[in-house]
Amino acid sequence: MSALVKNIRSLSKSSSYLRCFSVRPLTVAANKLRSAPKHTPNQSLFLTTTQRLVLPHERSYSSKPPLSLKLIADRVILVLQLYDKVNPEKLKLESHFINDLGLDSLDHVEVIMAIEDEFGFEIPDVDAEKLLRPADIVRYVADKEDIYE
Amino acid sequence: MASKTKILNLYKALLRESQKFSTYNFRSYAVRRIRDAFRDNRNITDSELINNRISEARKNLDLIKRQALVSQMYQTDKLVIERIPRT
Repeated sequence: MSALVKNIRSLSKSSSYLRCFSVRPLTVAANKLRSAPKHTPNQSLFLTTTQRLVLPHERSYSSKPPLSLKLIADRVILVLQLYDKVNPEKLKLESHFINDLGLDSLDHVEVIMAIEDEFGFEIPDVDAEKLLRPADIVRYVADKEDIYE
Repeated sequence: MASKTKILNLYKALLRESQKFSTYNFRSYAVRRIRDAFRDNRNITDSELINNRISEARKNLDLIKRQALVSQMYQTDKLVIERIPRT
């Protein structure tokens, strides 16, 4: 008899665990869905900020949130827009730093440093010389992070 | 005649080291000074002058490394303009 009671107790305990595991992620997801449409006008900016700021509900435990090609492109463009010598209106993924945007080799070094700071890894000088368009940088970062879609 | 990549490496190393200054004033001065000095001397062609400038830059790189390390040992409070606003 006592064994039966114990079993029932342990069952109810585990079910309560199950409940708190299952409900919380659902509510978090629902909140996310609800809050998402508000930010649609400048969605690219919103995406980049969520990449950087870890929200209090979702702890990532030292693993980064997953990147996608579009996110990388948005972050690269954001970094370049914030660099004072780049004209944000002329800036496109396919524009050449030196020929189209009018940067010199010293500016190019600074741009590469800003990209290193943004994505948190170092780009060797041999590779940095070849990254002459924003699109090249996006592909290089994607290769580094193993993203192929 | 030093190669272009060598000079660019030196430029990058100088900027990276001077970012390590913990004092805001020294940090922003060093970065500004390096950027201006390299742009001032971009058009010189005399190879002897170029070599002089490069050895000067190397000396300054060592100096910045030492002083950045010292500044990290004696840190003071951050300035008001350095604080990241809470969102």
